[in-house]
Amino acid sequence: MLPDSFLIYIVLAPGLAALTGLFHKWIGDRVVMAITTGVVMSAGALSLYQLFAYVAGLAGGAAPEHHAGFDAYLTAGTDVAAVELKQHIITLMPWIHVGDFQANWAIRVDTLSIVMMAVITGVSGLVHLYSWGYMSEDPHKARFFSYLSLFTFMMLMLVVADNFIQLFFGWEGVGLASYLLIGFWYTKKAPNDASIKAFVTNRVGDFGLALGIMAVFFVFRSVEFGPVLEAIRTNAVVTPMAFAEALPAREAVIVFFGERVYALELIGVLLFIGAMGKSAQFFLHVWLPDAMEGPTPVSALIHAATMVTAGVYLVCLLSPIYEYTFYASGMVALVGAVTALYAATVGMAQNDIKRVIAYSTCSQLGYMFFAAGIGAYEAAMFHLFTHAFFKALLFLGAGSVIHGMHHEQDMRRMGGLAKFMPLTYAAMMIGTIAIIGLGIPHTKLGFSGFFSKDAVLESSFAGAMAGVSFAEVAFWFGLLAAFLTSFYSWRLIYMTFHGPAPHAAHDHHGADDHAHPDDHGHDPAHTPHESPAVMLIPLALLSLGAMFAGVYFYDAFVDGQNEAFWAGAIYRDAANHVLHDRHDVPEWVLWAPLVVTVGGFLIATFTYFFNRGVGARVAASGGPLHALFSNKWYFDEIYQVTLVRGSAFLGNIFWRADKKIIDGLGPDGMAKLAGLSSRGLSRMHSGYLYHYAFVIIGAAIVFGAVLWLRSGGAN
Amino acid sequence: MGSLPILTLMTFLPLAGALLVMLIHSATGGGGKSGKLVLATGILVSAATFAVSVAAFMAFDPDVAGYQLVEQHAWYGPISYKLGIDGLSLSLVVLTTFLTPICLLASWNSVGKRMTEYVIAFLVLETFMIGVFVALDLVLFYVFFEAGLIPMFLIVGIWGGKDRVYAAFKFFLYTLIGSLLMLVAMVYMILAAGSADVEVLETYSFAPGVQTWLWLAFAASFAVKLPMWPVHTWLPDAHVQAPTAGSVILAGVLLKMGGYGFLRFSLPMFPDASALFQPFMFGLAVVAIVYTSLVAWRQTDMKKLIAYSSVAHMGFVTLGIFAFNETGIQGAVFQMLSHGLISGALFLIVGVVYDRMHTREIAAYGGLVNRMPVYASFFMLFTMANVGLPGTSGFVGEILTMVGGFQAATWAAAGAALGVIFSAVYMLTLYRRTVFGEITNPGLNAIRDMNFVEWICIAPLAVLTLLFGIAPNLIFNLTDGSTARILSMMARGQ
Repeated sequence: MLPDSFLIYIVLAPGLAALTGLFHKWIGDRVVMAITTGVVMSAGALSLYQLFAYVAGLAGGAAPEHHAGFDAYLTAGTDVAAVELKQHIITLMPWIHVGDFQANWAIRVDTLSIVMMAVITGVSGLVHLYSWGYMSEDPHKARFFSYLSLFTFMMLMLVVADNFIQLFFGWEGVGLASYLLIGFWYTKKAPNDASIKAFVTNRVGDFGLALGIMAVFFVFRSVEFGPVLEAIRTNAVVTPMAFAEALPAREAVIVFFGERVYALELIGVLLFIGAMGKSAQFFLHVWLPDAMEGPTPVSALIHAATMVTAGVYLVCLLSPIYEYTFYASGMVALVGAVTALYAATVGMAQNDIKRVIAYSTCSQLGYMFFAAGIGAYEAAMFHLFTHAFFKALLFLGAGSVIHGMHHEQDMRRMGGLAKFMPLTYAAMMIGTIAIIGLGIPHTKLGFSGFFSKDAVLESSFAGAMAGVSFAEVAFWFGLLAAFLTSFYSWRLIYMTFHGPAPHAAHDHHGADDHAHPDDHGHDPAHTPHESPAVMLIPLALLSLGAMFAGVYFYDAFVDGQNEAFWAGAIYRDAANHVLHDRHDVPEWVLWAPLVVTVGGFLIATFTYFFNRGVGARVAASGGPLHALFSNKWYFDEIYQVTLVRGSAFLGNIFWRADKKIIDGLGPDGMAKLAGLSSRGLSRMHSGYLYHYAFVIIGAAIVFGAVLWLRSGGAN
Repeated sequence: MGSLPILTLMTFLPLAGALLVMLIHSATGGGGKSGKLVLATGILVSAATFAVSVAAFMAFDPDVAGYQLVEQHAWYGPISYKLGIDGLSLSLVVLTTFLTPICLLASWNSVGKRMTEYVIAFLVLETFMIGVFVALDLVLFYVFFEAGLIPMFLIVGIWGGKDRVYAAFKFFLYTLIGSLLMLVAMVYMILAAGSADVEVLETYSFAPGVQTWLWLAFAASFAVKLPMWPVHTWLPDAHVQAPTAGSVILAGVLLKMGGYGFLRFSLPMFPDASALFQPFMFGLAVVAIVYTSLVAWRQTDMKKLIAYSSVAHMGFVTLGIFAFNETGIQGAVFQMLSHGLISGALFLIVGVVYDRMHTREIAAYGGLVNRMPVYASFFMLFTMANVGLPGTSGFVGEILTMVGGFQAATWAAAGAALGVIFSAVYMLTLYRRTVFGEITNPGLNAIRDMNFVEWICIAPLAVLTLLFGIAPNLIFNLTDGSTARILSMMARGQ
C-alpha cells in the first residue's frame, strides 16, 4: 500500500495543479497543460499501482509482503459481521465543528476508494493526454486543462470523504466542474443552456441529498460515515434528536412532515434522489444528453466514466443503509431498471453520435443501480469499473471521429470511415464488443462488459428467485436493454464506419466545434483523417482495459475473493446471498444475454449494413413509437411546460404581489391615505428625514419624561 | 474594565474622523482635489478603526462566556453608558470595520458630488453601526440603532439614483413603525425591571403573556431590518437607488442588525414568546426563501436581483435562529457574516460595470467574459458562493441552519432546501446573461477589465469567502461561547 504522503499527493495535487491555470498569462498554456497532465497521470500511475498491488496481494493468498502490508496499514474496525471493515483514515484538518456536527477534511482509504481512485485518476490522466490533441486548436487550453484537473480533484475528494459533508463538497464540486466544462464554449447558446440545465437538475437531486444528510444527523447525531454505518452494522441503539425514543438503528423512526416513518427508509430515499440527479436516472436524466455540448474529452471523463457513477458509488458506500430498507432499495432497483430500458429505447433513435453514447451511459448506469438495489453491490461496482474503461473508450473514439470529420457529429453524414481511420475503428470495435457484453458463458472468454453485465443480470435473476422486490422486473428490463444495447451499438458502428462515404457535403454543423472553425490547417477537401498519436495512445490503453479488466478483476470484485477484496467496504447482511446465488441460476439465464446480444447484432447488421437505408426508412415511416423514442419520450417538453414555466409564472405572480399587495397595502397605501402623490413626495424631498429625527428626539423626550416621572414618583 | 476603553475608542474613532474630515474640508476650501484628500482621510480613519477592532479581537478571550471588555458609567437613573462584547457582537463588529474601508475605497472613482458629506456620512454611520453591536444598555442600543438610519437615508437620498426619494420613503415608513413599537416595549421593560442594563434584563423574567407583546414589538423592528417577508419590499428599492458603497453597507451590515437583535434581545429576554412564535417564524422564513428566490429570478435589474437574493438568504438566518439549537444559531451567525462578505462583493461586482456603463439592466450586458476575464472569474466565484457551493462560506451557513431547522421542524428545512435549487436558477441565469455569450451591445466593445482599486476592494472578500468556507471553525471558535449562553438563557424559560 501507499504511504500517507503519496495518498495525499494523489488527492490534493490535481487541485493545486488546477490553480496553475490562474497564472497562464505569465507561465503560458503549455506549462499549465504539462503540469496538470503530469500531475494527474502520475497520480493515475500511483493509484493503479495501488489497486494492482492490492489485488495481487489477494491473489497470492499467502503473498505476505503485500497482504501483510495492507493489514498493518489498514486499521480494523469493530464489525460484527464475518468480514471486518478495513480502512485507513488520514485526517487533514478540521472543517466544520459545531457540537455533534463534526466534519473533517480527510482521506478515507478502503477498497471502495482504492477502486474509485484508480478509475478517476487513470481515466483522467488519459483524458488529459488525449486533450493535447483534441483541444490543440482551442485558444483557451489552459482554462480547459485547469477545469479538468479541478474536476479530478473534486471527484477524488468525493470518494475519499470520511463524512457526508466532505462527500457533499466533492459532489457539488464535480457539479461545478461539470457546469464549467459543459459550458466551456461560453459564447454559444447551446452549451450555456446545457450547463445551466445540468447544474440546476443536479441541484434538484442535491435537495434530496442535503435533506438526507440532515436526516442522518438527526437520527445518528453524527455526519461521519464511521459512527453512522457502524451503528447500522451493529444495530446499536440510537436516540434521534428531539424525541426521546431510543430504538435499534435499523428500526429507528423519524417524524417527517408529521408522519412517523422508518428513518433508514427515509434516509435511503432522500439520498437516492441525490444519486438520481448526479447519475442521470429516470426523471432527473434530462441534463445528461444535453451535456454533450461540452468538449468530447469531458464527455468521456465526467459524463461517462466518473462523475455520473458517483450515485452508484454512494449507494454502495452506504450499503448498510440500503441493506436494511425495503422501499428505498426497491426504489433504487426499480428506477435503475426503468432507466436501463428507457435510455436504451431513446439511444436507438438518436442520430448524433455523442447522444447515442450518452443514452447508452444512462442505460448502463441503470444496470448498476438495479444491481445495487437488489443487493448485489459488488456487481454494481464491478460494472462501474469495467464501464469506465469501455465507455471512456467509446467517447474518446467518438471524439476521434468528430476530430477526423472536422466537427461533424451527425451519423447520417458519416459512413465508410473504417478505411480513413482504421485505428479509431479498431478501438471503437473493441469498445462496442465490450459494451454489448459479448462472451461465452462458462469460460473466461469475453470482453470486460461480459463479466460485469452478466454478473448483474444473473444476480438479479437470483434475487428474483429469492423474492427480492423488483429483482424480476430488473432482470427482464435488463435483458431487453441488453438487446437494445447491442442493436444501437452496432447501428452506430455501421452508420459511422461502413457503407458509402458522403463526406463531401461538409458544413460546420456539430455543436462540438473547435473554436476556430476555419483556421483548421487541414487539406481543403476535408477528407476524414486519422487522429494524432497523442489521441490514439489513450485509445489503445483504454482498449486494453475494455478487453481485460473484466477477466482480470472478476475474482476479486464478484467471485471467489470478493470478501477479502472488499474487506468490509461493502456491507451485506448475513441473509443476502444474491451475489453468490447467481451461480445457481438456470442454464438459460447464462445464455440469454448472449442470445439477445447476437439478436441485436443481427438486426442491426440486416438494417444498417446489408440493407443500408432500411433503418432510415423505418425511422421515417416510424410512426408514434419512433417519434416517442427520438423525442426522448418528450421529457424536456413536459418539464418545460410544467416546471420551468410554472416557476416563472409563480415568480411573476409573487413579484406583482410585492408591488400591488404588499406595497399597495403598506407604504404606498399609507402614502395615498396621507394624500401624498409620488410627485408630492418628490417635492417634500427629504422632509421625511426631519420627521425621522423628530421621532428620535421625541422618543428621547418621552423616555426622559417617563423616567423623570417615575423617579419623582419613587421619591 | 481595562485601563484603555478600547470599545469606546473603536466606536467613536470614526466620529472623530468625521470631524477631522470637516476640518480638512474647511482648510482646503473644498475645491478641486480636496475630494480625494478627504476620501483618503476617511479610508485611513476607517482602516485605523479596523486596527482597533483587531486589537479588541486580540484582547477578547473566546473561552470566557459572557461579555468582555465591559465599560460602564452611570448615566441617568436606570440608564447607563455600557459597552461590552461577546463572540456574537465581536464578529459583527469586525465585519463592520472590515467592510467600511472597502466601501470608501470603492467610492474612489464612482462618487462625484459632495465628497466631504459623503465621507462624513459613512464615518458617522460606522460609529452608529459599531455602537449597535457593542451597546449593552437598552437606551444606548436604541439610540445607535435608530440614529444609524439617518446617514443611511442620506446616502440613499443624496447619492442615490433617480427614484431615491421613493426608496427612502419606503425605508422610512417601515422602519418608523417598527421603531415606535420597540420604543414602547423598551420603556415598559425599563420600568418593569428598573434597569436598562442588558445583563440585568437577561436575568429578569417577564411573565409569558407580557413576553408575547414585548416579543412582537421587538420583532416588528428586527423583522423589518432583517428583512423578513412580507416587510421586505423596502430593500430592493433601497438597494437599487443606493450608490454601490451604500448597498454594500446596507446588505453587509445593516441587515445583520435584525438578526443580532433577535439573538441579543428576543431569544434571551423573551424565551417563552420566542418558542411560541417558532412555527410562525419558520413559516415566514420558508416563504421568504421560496417566494423571494422566485421573484429574484424574474428581475431585469442586476441590483434588484441581488437584493431579493439577500432577502432569501436572510430567510436562512431566521430559520437558524429560531431552531433554538447550537447548530442552527451557529449557522445563523455564520450565515450573517458570510452573507456580509458575499452580498457585499456582489454589489461591488455590479458597481464595477455600472460605473462603466451606467445601467444595471441585465439585458444591456452579455459577453463580458470576452473583454473582462478577471472580472468574470471574481463574478463566478461569488456567484458560486451565493448559491452555497461547498468550499465557500455560503455553504456552511446554509447547511448548518438547515440542519438546525430540521431538528425543530422537518418541513421548514425541506422548504428552505428548495431555495438551494432556486438560488442556482437565478444566479446562473444572471451570470449567463451578463457574462457569457457574445457581445451584442456595441457599447461593451471597449469596456475595460477591473482596475487596481476595484481589485483591491474585491480580492480580500474573495479570500475571506474561501477561507471561511474551508476553515469556518475560525468563526465558530469565536461564537460558540455566546451561542451556548443564549441557549442556556432560553432554557431558563422553558
